[in-house]
Amino acid sequence: MSALEIVGLRAGYGGEPVLTGIDLSVADGEICGLIGSNGAGKSTLLRAVLDLGVDFEGSIMIHGCEGRGMPPMERARLVSYLPQNFNPCSRLTVGETVLLGRFPYRSNWSTDSERDLEIAERSMRECDIWELRDRVFTNLSGGEKRLVLLAAALAQEPRLLLLDEPGSSLDFRHQLNMWLLLRRLSSKGIGILVSTHEVAMAGRFLDRVLVLSEGRTAAFGTPSETFTPDILSEAFGVQLTVTRDAEAGSWSIIPEIRT
Amino acid sequence: MSSSNKMVRRPGAQFWVLMLAAIAIASVISLMVGPLSDPPGWVIFRLRLPRLVLSLLTGGSLAVSGCVLQSLLRNDLATPYTLGISAGAGLAAGSLIVAGIAVPVLGMVAAGTAGALIAVGAVYAISVAAGRRDTGSTLLLAGVTVNLVGASFLLLMEYFTDANRIMEIIRWMMGDMAVVGWAKPVFLLVPWAAGMLLVLRRTGVLNQIAQGDDLAATRGVAVRRERNILLAAAAILAGATVGVAGPVGFVGLIVPHSMRRLAGADYRYLVPASALGGMLLMVVADSISRVVISPAELPIGIVMSMVGGPFFLMLLLKKGRRRKH
Repeated sequence: MSALEIVGLRAGYGGEPVLTGIDLSVADGEICGLIGSNGAGKSTLLRAVLDLGVDFEGSIMIHGCEGRGMPPMERARLVSYLPQNFNPCSRLTVGETVLLGRFPYRSNWSTDSERDLEIAERSMRECDIWELRDRVFTNLSGGEKRLVLLAAALAQEPRLLLLDEPGSSLDFRHQLNMWLLLRRLSSKGIGILVSTHEVAMAGRFLDRVLVLSEGRTAAFGTPSETFTPDILSEAFGVQLTVTRDAEAGSWSIIPEIRT
Repeated sequence: MSSSNKMVRRPGAQFWVLMLAAIAIASVISLMVGPLSDPPGWVIFRLRLPRLVLSLLTGGSLAVSGCVLQSLLRNDLATPYTLGISAGAGLAAGSLIVAGIAVPVLGMVAAGTAGALIAVGAVYAISVAAGRRDTGSTLLLAGVTVNLVGASFLLLMEYFTDANRIMEIIRWMMGDMAVVGWAKPVFLLVPWAAGMLLVLRRTGVLNQIAQGDDLAATRGVAVRRERNILLAAAAILAGATVGVAGPVGFVGLIVPHSMRRLAGADYRYLVPASALGGMLLMVVADSISRVVISPAELPIGIVMSMVGGPFFLMLLLKKGRRRKH
């Protein structure tokens, strides 16, 4: 089954379309990348799926269920989200923060069940932050905070995980770890849709890529199909040299500088 | 006092028992202190017991209201008065005093309550009209503005009024727990119970909203509706309290802060802990206000600020020192 199936999407804010004619499908266990220049509509697409204040026409099916008008609690049990910017104001510990991801599974006031604690622990171990569990969230580094919120997103037991530029503000090692982690999660059957600017790095880990250019689909396919100088140069508005080291499977994408 | 597993910091059973015991002891002391000029039975049942109940209710509601606003505004320094509640209540009560309209005690209480609610309504309307996505900071800015404008109108009113009435306004603004009979506590009980019930059912939502609107929404919270209900509950709790007892400061700030240290930051535990903490603080402060210059009494607002200010400063300094290590 598809974790996400989008057909003929037209989306925007207050009647002004940001995206038009978007078709996209993310299968279970697949990582799909969203790339494009700033303002191309990557975040709008993610927010439309999450019903975060985006007006849209067209169809969004989440794990076989109609996304439009889906009750918030039901959606929260299918999709979870790691935002690009976050600034929680709380003195909660890492463990308590991750447990907040269990909210869609409990009633208005209830204590944490054994199952909640188990799943929180599993999520923290998956994200390799179990050692941080007693620390206060606000005292962590930016990269650690991101992993904690990712663990909270996993505690929602999603079928579909949306991430908005998860690698931004991370150094090379943490970026690499983030992508390896996404690969591990997808191998467990979670469908992943991730917007990113680290195009070359992402090329090694993505199954498919949607290249957005000014709110339209410039290309959709595997990295080999979509990472061509023509497609990427047009999408980013600069002349790009694209090479692939077939042996290592790595990409390098370098802008040409004309003086 | 928290459980040994530090990953989740929950106040243990002994925390709740100790809080309740402290409140019980403070209450008994509060009933006994002060001069007994009139028949003891009358003093205790018509003056001190209703006053004790009023202290418990006001302390609990101000602390819980502060707790709620700190989550909604995502700011640990938010208090019930951040939303213009004291300015609104002060203007309404002040107008009555200046106009020289002789209203019964409950009329004054109702006017103060209405003023507080109107101020919150105005703050909310302004923040909606501004239409920004970060509702927390817009509410905060609108609240601070309404508070300042309201305070300046109150000053303007005082400037053109004769001295006796100015004294009356100033006295009201200092907070007043004096009661004769049960009218005030009974009046407060209804909005108090309604506000508390609305908040206690939503402590899990408070945790989510403190994380940010987007995260809360993607975890299944109907953010706009829940925020409106919680805002209304905080306004009812603080507005009715200010109407009855005047704008007593600091409780809504100090109590949630102190309780975060004792009971953790999870609102499911922090809200009830703050309610108890507010009750304790108010009963103690009221007892002090009655004995320091006995047989006269100090306004509770002054006592609260003089005791609360240094205490809060101590907390801040201690926290700063710990951070450095």
